[in-house]
Amino acid sequence: MFTRREPKIDEQELTHIPGAEPQSRMDVWWWLVALVVGVIIILSVTMPDPYWNIIKFVRDGLKITIFLTVVSFVFVLLVGMLGGLGRISKNRIINLIATLYVELVRGVPLLVQLIWWYYAFPVIIQQIGKWTHISALAEYQANAIFVAIVGLVFCYGAYMSEIYRAGIQSVPKGQMEAARSLGMSYFQAMRHVVLPQAIRVILPPVGNEFISLLKDSSLVSVVAVADLTRRGREFMATHFNPIEVWTMVALLYLVLTLFSARIVNWIERRTKFER
Amino acid sequence: MESIINIENVHKHFGRVHALRGVSLQIQKGEVLVIVGPSGSGKSTLLRCINHLEDCSSGNIIVDGIQLDSAQNINAVRQEIGMVFQSFNLFAHLTVMDNLVLAQKIVRKRKKQEAREIALNLLKKVGIPEKANVHPYQLSGGQQQRVAIARALAMNPRIMLFDEPTSALDPEMIKEVLDVMLALAKEGMTMVVVSHEMGFARAAAKRIIFMDEGQILEEAPPDILFTSPKHERTKLFLSKVLQQ
Repeated sequence: MFTRREPKIDEQELTHIPGAEPQSRMDVWWWLVALVVGVIIILSVTMPDPYWNIIKFVRDGLKITIFLTVVSFVFVLLVGMLGGLGRISKNRIINLIATLYVELVRGVPLLVQLIWWYYAFPVIIQQIGKWTHISALAEYQANAIFVAIVGLVFCYGAYMSEIYRAGIQSVPKGQMEAARSLGMSYFQAMRHVVLPQAIRVILPPVGNEFISLLKDSSLVSVVAVADLTRRGREFMATHFNPIEVWTMVALLYLVLTLFSARIVNWIERRTKFER
Repeated sequence: MESIINIENVHKHFGRVHALRGVSLQIQKGEVLVIVGPSGSGKSTLLRCINHLEDCSSGNIIVDGIQLDSAQNINAVRQEIGMVFQSFNLFAHLTVMDNLVLAQKIVRKRKKQEAREIALNLLKKVGIPEKANVHPYQLSGGQQQRVAIARALAMNPRIMLFDEPTSALDPEMIKEVLDVMLALAKEGMTMVVVSHEMGFARAAAKRIIFMDEGQILEEAPPDILFTSPKHERTKLFLSKVLQQ
Protein backbone atom coordinates (compact mmCIF):
# COMPACT_ATOMS: atom_id res chain seq x y z
CA MET A 1 0.00 0.00 0.00
CA PHE A 2 2.74 2.44 0.95
CA THR A 3 5.98 2.73 -0.90
CA ARG A 4 9.22 2.77 0.94
CA ARG A 5 11.72 5.54 0.34
CA GLU A 6 15.31 5.75 1.26
CA PRO A 7 16.27 8.82 3.26
CA LYS A 8 18.25 11.34 1.25
CA ILE A 9 20.89 11.87 3.90
CA ASP A 10 22.58 9.31 6.01
CA GLU A 11 20.67 9.70 9.26
CA GLN A 12 22.96 7.35 11.10
CA GLU A 13 25.89 9.54 10.22
CA LEU A 14 24.22 12.67 11.57
CA THR A 15 22.85 11.29 14.79
CA HIS A 16 25.55 8.89 15.71
CA ILE A 17 25.37 7.98 19.36
CA PRO A 18 27.69 5.10 20.19
CA GLY A 19 25.81 1.97 21.10
CA ALA A 20 22.43 3.39 20.12
CA GLU A 21 22.34 2.63 16.39
CA PRO A 22 19.23 0.97 14.96
CA GLN A 23 21.47 -1.94 14.04
CA SER A 24 22.33 -2.66 17.66
CA ARG A 25 18.68 -2.52 18.73
CA MET A 26 17.98 -5.12 16.10
CA ASP A 27 20.70 -7.35 17.55
CA VAL A 28 19.40 -6.98 21.08
CA TRP A 29 16.01 -8.08 19.90
CA TRP A 30 17.37 -11.12 18.09
CA TRP A 31 19.33 -12.06 21.18
CA LEU A 32 16.18 -11.77 23.28
CA VAL A 33 14.17 -13.98 20.94
CA ALA A 34 17.00 -16.48 20.70
CA LEU A 35 17.23 -16.49 24.45
CA VAL A 36 13.51 -17.03 25.07
CA VAL A 37 13.08 -19.61 22.31
CA GLY A 38 16.31 -21.27 23.42
CA VAL A 39 15.15 -21.55 27.01
CA ILE A 40 11.85 -23.05 25.88
CA ILE A 41 13.61 -25.61 23.67
CA ILE A 42 16.25 -26.51 26.25
CA LEU A 43 13.61 -26.96 28.96
CA SER A 44 11.40 -29.13 26.72
CA VAL A 45 14.27 -31.28 25.53
CA THR A 46 16.09 -31.76 28.80
CA MET A 47 12.99 -32.07 30.94
CA PRO A 48 10.14 -33.24 28.69
CA ASP A 49 8.28 -34.03 31.90
CA PRO A 50 6.81 -31.59 32.76
CA TYR A 51 7.83 -28.90 30.20
CA TRP A 52 7.03 -30.65 26.92
CA ASN A 53 3.83 -31.96 28.48
CA ILE A 54 2.87 -28.42 29.46
CA ILE A 55 3.44 -27.17 25.92
CA LYS A 56 1.35 -29.98 24.46
CA PHE A 57 -1.37 -29.31 27.00
CA VAL A 58 -1.59 -25.52 26.52
CA ARG A 59 -1.24 -25.63 22.72
CA ASP A 60 -5.01 -25.24 22.15
CA GLY A 61 -4.99 -22.34 24.58
CA LEU A 62 -2.17 -20.69 22.67
CA LYS A 63 -4.20 -20.95 19.45
CA ILE A 64 -7.24 -19.45 21.17
CA THR A 65 -5.19 -16.60 22.58
CA ILE A 66 -3.82 -15.76 19.12
CA PHE A 67 -7.24 -16.14 17.51
CA LEU A 68 -8.93 -13.94 20.13
CA THR A 69 -6.29 -11.26 19.86
CA VAL A 70 -6.19 -11.08 16.07
CA VAL A 71 -9.97 -11.20 15.56
CA SER A 72 -10.62 -8.71 18.35
CA PHE A 73 -7.96 -6.38 17.03
CA VAL A 74 -9.48 -6.24 13.55
CA PHE A 75 -12.76 -5.12 15.11
CA VAL A 76 -10.96 -2.78 17.51
CA LEU A 77 -9.46 -1.00 14.49
CA LEU A 78 -12.93 -0.58 12.97
CA VAL A 79 -14.67 0.48 16.19
CA GLY A 80 -11.79 2.82 16.97
CA MET A 81 -12.09 4.49 13.58
CA LEU A 82 -15.83 5.00 14.00
CA GLY A 83 -15.34 6.20 17.59
CA GLY A 84 -12.56 8.56 16.55
CA LEU A 85 -14.63 10.03 13.72
CA GLY A 86 -17.52 10.36 16.18
CA ARG A 87 -15.33 12.20 18.65
CA ILE A 88 -14.39 14.84 16.09
CA SER A 89 -17.87 15.00 14.53
CA LYS A 90 -19.59 18.37 14.53
CA ASN A 91 -22.93 16.58 14.81
CA ARG A 92 -23.75 16.98 18.51
CA ILE A 93 -25.62 13.71 18.93
CA ILE A 94 -22.92 11.60 17.28
CA ASN A 95 -20.28 13.45 19.26
CA LEU A 96 -22.17 12.91 22.52
CA ILE A 97 -22.61 9.18 21.89
CA ALA A 98 -18.92 8.74 21.02
CA THR A 99 -17.78 10.76 24.02
CA LEU A 100 -20.06 8.88 26.40
CA TYR A 101 -18.83 5.56 25.05
CA VAL A 102 -15.17 6.49 25.44
CA GLU A 103 -15.52 8.02 28.90
CA LEU A 104 -17.72 5.25 30.34
CA VAL A 105 -15.62 2.40 29.03
CA ARG A 106 -12.32 3.92 30.07
CA GLY A 107 -13.60 4.35 33.61
CA VAL A 108 -14.35 0.67 34.23
CA PRO A 109 -11.70 -2.05 34.66
CA LEU A 110 -11.51 -4.50 31.77
CA LEU A 111 -11.91 -7.45 34.12
CA VAL A 112 -15.19 -6.05 35.43
CA GLN A 113 -16.36 -5.36 31.88
CA LEU A 114 -15.60 -8.93 30.79
CA ILE A 115 -17.48 -10.33 33.79
CA TRP A 116 -20.39 -8.01 33.02
CA TRP A 117 -20.58 -9.17 29.40
CA TYR A 118 -20.41 -12.82 30.42
CA TYR A 119 -22.77 -12.86 33.41
CA ALA A 120 -25.00 -9.78 33.17
CA PHE A 121 -25.46 -9.26 29.43
CA PRO A 122 -27.05 -12.67 28.68
CA VAL A 123 -29.52 -12.17 31.53
CA ILE A 124 -30.55 -8.82 30.08
CA ILE A 125 -31.06 -10.43 26.68
CA GLN A 126 -33.12 -13.22 28.29
CA GLN A 127 -35.27 -10.69 30.13
CA ILE A 128 -35.90 -8.75 26.93
CA GLY A 129 -36.81 -12.05 25.29
CA LYS A 130 -39.34 -12.80 28.02
CA TRP A 131 -40.95 -9.38 27.77
CA THR A 132 -41.17 -9.43 24.02
CA HIS A 133 -42.01 -13.18 23.84
CA ILE A 134 -39.20 -13.84 21.40
CA SER A 135 -38.07 -17.31 22.40
CA ALA A 136 -34.73 -17.05 20.58
CA LEU A 137 -33.75 -14.22 22.92
CA ALA A 138 -35.35 -15.74 26.03
CA GLU A 139 -33.24 -18.87 25.62
CA TYR A 140 -30.06 -16.96 24.80
CA GLN A 141 -26.92 -18.60 26.15
CA ALA A 142 -23.63 -16.74 26.04
CA ASN A 143 -20.92 -18.24 23.85
CA ALA A 144 -17.78 -17.68 25.89
CA ILE A 145 -15.51 -16.83 22.95
CA PHE A 146 -18.08 -14.55 21.36
CA VAL A 147 -18.63 -12.71 24.63
CA ALA A 148 -14.90 -12.44 25.19
CA ILE A 149 -14.41 -10.86 21.76
CA VAL A 150 -17.30 -8.45 22.36
CA GLY A 151 -15.87 -7.46 25.73
CA LEU A 152 -12.34 -6.95 24.44
CA VAL A 153 -13.50 -5.02 21.37
CA PHE A 154 -15.85 -2.84 23.40
CA CYS A 155 -13.11 -1.89 25.83
CA TYR A 156 -10.17 -1.56 23.47
CA GLY A 157 -12.33 0.21 20.88
CA ALA A 158 -12.72 3.08 23.32
CA TYR A 159 -8.99 3.49 23.83
CA MET A 160 -8.45 3.11 20.10
CA SER A 161 -11.03 5.86 19.45
CA GLU A 162 -8.87 8.29 21.35
CA ILE A 163 -5.80 7.22 19.39
CA TYR A 164 -7.63 7.73 16.10
CA ARG A 165 -8.93 11.09 17.29
CA ALA A 166 -5.45 12.27 18.18
CA GLY A 167 -4.10 10.95 14.88
CA ILE A 168 -6.75 12.68 12.79
CA GLN A 169 -6.26 15.90 14.69
CA SER A 170 -2.51 15.72 14.12
CA VAL A 171 -3.07 16.07 10.37
CA PRO A 172 -2.96 19.80 9.54
CA LYS A 173 -6.38 21.32 8.87
CA GLY A 174 -5.18 22.56 5.49
CA GLN A 175 -5.10 18.99 4.19
CA MET A 176 -8.85 18.62 4.69
CA GLU A 177 -9.46 22.12 3.31
CA ALA A 178 -7.41 21.45 0.20
CA ALA A 179 -9.25 18.18 -0.41
CA ARG A 180 -12.64 19.81 0.09
CA SER A 181 -11.71 22.72 -2.16
CA LEU A 182 -11.08 20.20 -4.95
CA GLY A 183 -14.69 19.08 -4.65
CA MET A 184 -14.21 15.98 -2.51
CA SER A 185 -16.91 15.17 0.01
CA TYR A 186 -16.05 14.99 3.73
CA PHE A 187 -15.80 11.21 3.62
CA GLN A 188 -13.78 11.14 0.40
CA ALA A 189 -11.34 13.62 1.94
CA MET A 190 -11.17 11.57 5.14
CA ARG A 191 -10.60 8.33 3.29
CA HIS A 192 -8.09 9.48 0.68
CA VAL A 193 -6.27 12.33 2.39
CA VAL A 194 -6.64 12.57 6.17
CA LEU A 195 -6.83 8.95 7.34
CA PRO A 196 -3.84 7.69 5.31
CA GLN A 197 -1.74 10.36 7.01
CA ALA A 198 -3.31 9.85 10.44
CA ILE A 199 -2.71 6.10 10.32
CA ARG A 200 1.02 6.59 9.87
CA VAL A 201 1.09 8.88 12.88
CA ILE A 202 -0.82 6.46 15.09
CA LEU A 203 1.04 3.31 14.10
CA PRO A 204 3.29 3.23 17.18
CA PRO A 205 0.44 3.59 19.72
CA VAL A 206 -1.71 1.19 17.68
CA GLY A 207 1.10 -1.35 17.82
CA ASN A 208 1.28 -0.88 21.58
CA GLU A 209 -2.46 -1.48 21.81
CA PHE A 210 -2.05 -4.75 19.94
CA ILE A 211 0.55 -5.95 22.39
CA SER A 212 -1.54 -4.78 25.37
CA LEU A 213 -4.55 -6.58 23.93
CA LEU A 214 -2.50 -9.73 23.55
CA LYS A 215 -1.56 -9.59 27.21
CA ASP A 216 -4.97 -8.47 28.48
CA SER A 217 -6.61 -11.31 26.57
CA SER A 218 -5.40 -13.47 29.48
CA LEU A 219 -8.26 -11.90 31.49
CA VAL A 220 -10.79 -13.83 29.43
CA SER A 221 -9.66 -16.93 31.31
CA VAL A 222 -12.09 -15.88 34.08
CA VAL A 223 -15.08 -16.09 31.74
CA ALA A 224 -14.66 -19.72 30.73
CA VAL A 225 -12.54 -19.19 27.63
CA ALA A 226 -9.86 -21.87 27.42
CA ASP A 227 -7.04 -19.52 26.46
CA LEU A 228 -3.37 -19.93 27.24
CA THR A 229 -3.73 -18.71 30.82
CA ARG A 230 -6.73 -20.89 31.58
CA ARG A 231 -5.08 -23.97 30.11
CA GLY A 232 -2.09 -23.27 32.30
CA ARG A 233 -4.33 -23.16 35.35
CA GLU A 234 -5.99 -26.41 34.33
CA PHE A 235 -2.64 -28.10 34.00
CA MET A 236 -1.56 -26.82 37.38
CA ALA A 237 -4.80 -28.07 38.96
CA THR A 238 -3.97 -31.65 37.99
CA HIS A 239 -0.20 -31.67 38.28
CA PHE A 240 0.49 -29.24 41.15
CA ASN A 241 3.63 -27.71 39.70
CA PRO A 242 3.12 -23.91 39.68
CA ILE A 243 6.74 -22.96 39.00
CA GLU A 244 7.06 -25.01 35.83
CA VAL A 245 3.58 -24.18 34.47
CA TRP A 246 3.64 -20.45 34.99
CA THR A 247 7.24 -20.07 33.86
CA MET A 248 6.35 -21.81 30.60
CA VAL A 249 3.15 -19.79 30.15
CA ALA A 250 5.10 -16.58 30.77
CA LEU A 251 7.75 -17.61 28.22
CA LEU A 252 5.09 -18.37 25.62
CA TYR A 253 3.46 -14.95 26.11
CA LEU A 254 6.92 -13.41 25.84
CA VAL A 255 7.54 -15.05 22.47
CA LEU A 256 4.21 -13.71 21.19
CA THR A 257 4.79 -10.16 22.40
CA LEU A 258 8.39 -10.00 21.18
CA PHE A 259 7.35 -11.14 17.73
CA SER A 260 4.42 -8.69 17.66
CA ALA A 261 6.70 -5.84 18.66
CA ARG A 262 9.00 -6.70 15.80
CA ILE A 263 6.19 -6.87 13.27
CA VAL A 264 4.91 -3.50 14.45
CA ASN A 265 8.39 -2.05 14.14
CA TRP A 266 8.74 -3.45 10.64
CA ILE A 267 5.43 -1.92 9.52
CA GLU A 268 6.42 1.41 11.04
CA ARG A 269 9.67 1.50 9.14
CA ARG A 270 7.96 0.62 5.87
CA THR A 271 5.30 3.32 6.12
CA LYS A 272 7.45 6.18 7.35
CA PHE A 273 7.00 9.44 5.47
CA GLU A 274 8.06 13.02 5.91
CA ARG A 275 6.03 16.16 5.98
CA MET B 1 -20.22 41.42 -19.12
CA GLU B 2 -21.85 38.67 -17.10
CA SER B 3 -20.73 38.39 -13.51
CA ILE B 4 -19.55 34.93 -12.48
CA ILE B 5 -19.40 35.63 -8.76
CA ASN B 6 -22.09 37.69 -7.10
CA ILE B 7 -21.64 38.53 -3.43
CA GLU B 8 -24.51 40.34 -1.74
CA ASN B 9 -24.30 41.90 1.70
CA VAL B 10 -22.32 39.10 3.30
CA HIS B 11 -21.71 39.06 7.06
CA LYS B 12 -19.51 36.63 8.94
CA HIS B 13 -19.18 36.22 12.68
CA PHE B 14 -16.53 34.15 14.45
CA GLY B 15 -18.03 34.04 17.92
CA ARG B 16 -17.91 37.68 18.97
CA VAL B 17 -15.65 38.77 16.15
CA HIS B 18 -17.50 40.39 13.28
CA ALA B 19 -15.13 39.48 10.47
CA LEU B 20 -17.17 40.56 7.46
CA ARG B 21 -19.56 43.49 7.78
CA GLY B 22 -21.80 43.61 4.78
CA VAL B 23 -19.57 42.91 1.78
CA SER B 24 -21.08 43.19 -1.69
CA LEU B 25 -19.03 42.49 -4.78
CA GLN B 26 -19.49 41.42 -8.40
CA ILE B 27 -16.71 39.69 -10.23
CA GLN B 28 -16.85 39.45 -14.01
CA LYS B 29 -15.96 36.45 -16.06
CA GLY B 30 -12.28 36.58 -17.00
CA GLU B 31 -11.54 39.31 -14.50
CA VAL B 32 -8.46 39.35 -12.30
CA LEU B 33 -9.33 40.91 -8.98
CA VAL B 34 -6.74 41.60 -6.31
CA ILE B 35 -7.80 42.09 -2.70
CA VAL B 36 -5.44 43.97 -0.40
CA GLY B 37 -5.75 45.15 3.17
CA PRO B 38 -4.16 44.86 6.60
CA SER B 39 -4.17 41.54 8.42
CA GLY B 40 -7.47 40.80 10.11
CA SER B 41 -9.38 42.88 7.58
CA GLY B 42 -11.39 39.91 6.34
CA LYS B 43 -9.72 39.33 2.95
CA SER B 44 -9.04 35.64 3.47
CA THR B 45 -12.41 35.13 5.14
CA LEU B 46 -14.14 36.61 2.09
CA LEU B 47 -12.16 34.33 -0.21
CA ARG B 48 -12.95 31.29 1.93
CA CYS B 49 -16.64 32.20 1.92
CA ILE B 50 -16.66 32.12 -1.89
CA ASN B 51 -15.98 28.38 -1.97
CA HIS B 52 -17.69 27.74 1.32
CA LEU B 53 -14.71 26.76 3.42
CA GLU B 54 -16.42 29.19 5.77
CA ASP B 55 -20.18 29.54 5.96
CA CYS B 56 -21.22 33.14 5.82
CA SER B 57 -23.53 34.14 8.67
CA SER B 58 -25.88 36.10 6.42
CA GLY B 59 -26.08 37.35 2.86
CA ASN B 60 -25.86 35.61 -0.49
CA ILE B 61 -23.01 34.28 -2.56
CA ILE B 62 -23.93 33.14 -6.05
CA VAL B 63 -21.20 31.46 -8.06
CA ASP B 64 -21.82 30.64 -11.71
CA GLY B 65 -25.55 31.02 -11.19
CA ILE B 66 -25.66 28.57 -8.26
CA GLN B 67 -26.44 29.75 -4.77
CA LEU B 68 -24.24 28.13 -2.16
CA ASP B 69 -26.64 26.82 0.42
CA SER B 70 -26.86 23.04 0.44
CA ALA B 71 -24.26 20.33 0.84
CA GLN B 72 -25.06 18.83 -2.58
CA ASN B 73 -24.33 21.90 -4.62
CA ILE B 74 -21.35 22.94 -2.50
CA ASN B 75 -19.33 20.02 -3.83
CA ALA B 76 -20.57 20.74 -7.35
CA VAL B 77 -19.60 24.40 -7.14
CA ARG B 78 -16.25 23.65 -5.54
CA GLN B 79 -15.29 21.59 -8.57
CA GLU B 80 -15.55 24.78 -10.59
CA ILE B 81 -13.45 26.80 -8.14
CA GLY B 82 -9.76 26.14 -7.71
CA MET B 83 -8.15 27.30 -4.50
CA VAL B 84 -4.49 27.96 -3.77
CA PHE B 85 -3.45 28.31 -0.14
CA GLN B 86 -0.73 30.25 1.60
CA SER B 87 0.67 27.03 3.08
CA PHE B 88 0.38 25.03 -0.20
CA ASN B 89 -1.43 22.14 1.51
CA LEU B 90 -0.13 19.49 -0.85
CA PHE B 91 -1.14 16.01 0.24
CA ALA B 92 1.95 14.99 2.17
CA HIS B 93 1.60 11.24 1.74
CA LEU B 94 1.28 11.33 -2.05
CA THR B 95 3.72 12.01 -4.88
CA VAL B 96 3.32 15.16 -6.96
CA MET B 97 1.65 13.10 -9.69
CA ASP B 98 -0.81 11.51 -7.26
CA ASN B 99 -1.56 14.93 -5.78
CA LEU B 100 -2.72 16.01 -9.23
CA VAL B 101 -4.49 12.76 -10.10
CA LEU B 102 -6.44 12.01 -6.89
CA ALA B 103 -9.32 14.47 -7.20
CA GLN B 104 -9.50 14.03 -10.97
CA LYS B 105 -10.18 10.36 -10.40
CA ILE B 106 -12.60 10.46 -7.49
CA VAL B 107 -14.38 13.75 -8.21
CA ARG B 108 -14.17 14.14 -12.00
CA LYS B 109 -14.26 10.33 -12.51
CA ARG B 110 -11.50 10.44 -15.07
CA LYS B 111 -9.61 7.34 -16.10
CA LYS B 112 -6.15 7.00 -14.58
CA GLN B 113 -4.38 7.35 -17.92
CA GLU B 114 -6.31 10.47 -18.89
CA ALA B 115 -5.78 12.03 -15.47
CA ARG B 116 -2.04 11.36 -15.64
CA GLU B 117 -1.77 12.97 -19.06
CA ILE B 118 -3.61 16.07 -17.87
CA ALA B 119 -1.39 16.17 -14.79
CA LEU B 120 1.81 15.89 -16.79
CA ASN B 121 0.75 18.66 -19.16
CA LEU B 122 0.00 20.92 -16.22
CA LEU B 123 3.33 20.12 -14.59
CA LYS B 124 4.98 21.13 -17.88
CA LYS B 125 2.97 24.32 -17.83
CA VAL B 126 4.17 25.23 -14.32
CA GLY B 127 7.69 24.22 -15.30
CA ILE B 128 8.43 21.14 -13.18
CA PRO B 129 7.50 18.00 -15.15
CA GLU B 130 10.64 16.29 -13.83
CA LYS B 131 9.26 16.39 -10.27
CA ALA B 132 6.23 14.19 -11.02
CA ASN B 133 7.37 11.28 -8.91
CA VAL B 134 8.81 12.99 -5.85
CA HIS B 135 7.03 13.75 -2.61
CA PRO B 136 6.11 17.29 -1.55
CA TYR B 137 8.73 17.44 1.22
CA GLN B 138 11.44 17.08 -1.44
CA LEU B 139 10.35 20.31 -3.17
CA SER B 140 11.13 23.95 -2.43
CA GLY B 141 8.30 26.21 -1.34
CA GLY B 142 8.02 27.78 -4.77
CA GLN B 143 7.87 24.38 -6.44
CA GLN B 144 5.25 23.20 -3.95
CA GLN B 145 3.10 26.21 -4.66
CA ARG B 146 3.39 25.65 -8.41
CA VAL B 147 2.29 22.05 -7.90
CA ALA B 148 -0.63 23.33 -5.82
CA ILE B 149 -1.66 25.61 -8.69
CA ALA B 150 -1.39 22.71 -11.13
CA ARG B 151 -3.45 20.53 -8.80
CA ALA B 152 -6.24 23.10 -8.74
CA LEU B 153 -6.07 23.56 -12.53
CA ALA B 154 -6.35 19.81 -13.12
CA MET B 155 -10.01 20.06 -12.17
CA ASN B 156 -10.60 22.53 -15.02
CA PRO B 157 -11.98 25.21 -12.73
CA ARG B 158 -13.73 28.28 -14.10
CA ILE B 159 -12.51 30.40 -11.21
CA MET B 160 -9.23 30.39 -9.30
CA LEU B 161 -8.90 31.76 -5.77
CA PHE B 162 -5.46 32.58 -4.39
CA ASP B 163 -5.11 33.11 -0.64
CA GLU B 164 -1.78 34.89 -0.12
CA PRO B 165 -0.01 32.45 -2.45
CA THR B 166 3.46 33.98 -2.04
CA SER B 167 3.41 34.99 1.64
CA ALA B 168 5.11 31.82 2.85
CA LEU B 169 7.83 31.91 0.20
CA ASP B 170 11.42 33.07 0.20
CA PRO B 171 11.81 36.25 -1.88
CA GLU B 172 13.63 34.51 -4.70
CA MET B 173 10.86 31.97 -5.12
CA ILE B 174 8.05 34.50 -5.31
CA LYS B 175 8.74 35.31 -8.95
CA GLU B 176 8.39 31.75 -10.22
CA VAL B 177 4.93 31.53 -8.67
CA LEU B 178 3.85 34.97 -9.86
CA ASP B 179 4.98 34.12 -13.40
CA VAL B 180 2.65 31.12 -13.41
CA MET B 181 -0.19 33.30 -12.12
CA LEU B 182 0.48 35.97 -14.74
CA ALA B 183 0.40 33.38 -17.51
CA LEU B 184 -2.90 32.14 -16.16
CA ALA B 185 -4.31 35.67 -16.09
CA LYS B 186 -3.29 36.17 -19.73
CA GLU B 187 -5.26 33.05 -20.69
CA GLY B 188 -8.39 34.72 -19.39
CA MET B 189 -8.89 32.79 -16.16
CA THR B 190 -11.17 34.44 -13.64
CA MET B 191 -8.95 35.03 -10.64
CA VAL B 192 -9.51 36.42 -7.16
CA VAL B 193 -6.18 37.02 -5.49
CA VAL B 194 -5.50 38.03 -1.91
CA SER B 195 -1.94 39.29 -2.08
CA HIS B 196 0.34 42.17 -1.30
CA GLU B 197 2.36 41.66 -4.46
CA MET B 198 1.76 45.09 -5.94
CA GLY B 199 3.83 44.26 -9.00
CA PHE B 200 1.45 41.43 -9.83
CA ALA B 201 -1.56 43.63 -9.13
CA ARG B 202 -0.24 46.30 -11.48
CA ALA B 203 0.53 43.81 -14.24
CA ALA B 204 -2.56 41.61 -14.10
CA ALA B 205 -5.40 43.14 -12.10
CA LYS B 206 -8.25 45.03 -13.63
CA ARG B 207 -9.48 46.10 -10.21
CA ILE B 208 -8.02 46.27 -6.76
CA ILE B 209 -10.16 46.13 -3.68
CA PHE B 210 -8.97 47.55 -0.40
CA MET B 211 -10.54 45.96 2.66
CA ASP B 212 -10.42 47.15 6.24
CA GLU B 213 -12.28 45.89 9.31
CA GLY B 214 -14.50 43.55 7.34
CA GLN B 215 -15.62 46.08 4.77
CA ILE B 216 -14.65 47.06 1.26
CA LEU B 217 -13.30 50.55 1.75
CA GLU B 218 -12.29 51.33 -1.78
CA GLU B 219 -12.09 49.78 -5.23
CA ALA B 220 -10.33 51.07 -8.31
CA PRO B 221 -8.03 50.03 -11.15
CA PRO B 222 -4.49 49.55 -9.86
CA ASP B 223 -2.88 52.70 -11.28
CA ILE B 224 -5.66 54.88 -9.86
CA LEU B 225 -5.64 53.21 -6.44
CA PHE B 226 -1.86 53.37 -6.20
CA THR B 227 -1.53 56.99 -7.28
CA SER B 228 -4.60 58.63 -5.78
CA PRO B 229 -6.34 56.63 -3.07
CA LYS B 230 -9.46 58.28 -1.69
CA HIS B 231 -9.29 57.21 1.95
CA GLU B 232 -6.65 58.11 4.54
CA ARG B 233 -6.61 54.46 5.65
CA THR B 234 -5.82 53.27 2.14
CA LYS B 235 -3.08 55.88 1.76
CA LEU B 236 -1.47 54.83 5.05
CA PHE B 237 -1.60 51.15 4.12
CA LEU B 238 -0.25 51.63 0.60
CA SER B 239 2.56 53.87 1.79
CA LYS B 240 3.75 51.00 3.98
CA VAL B 241 3.32 48.26 1.41
CA LEU B 242 4.71 50.15 -1.58
CA GLN B 243 7.82 51.17 0.34
CA GLN B 244 9.12 47.63 0.14
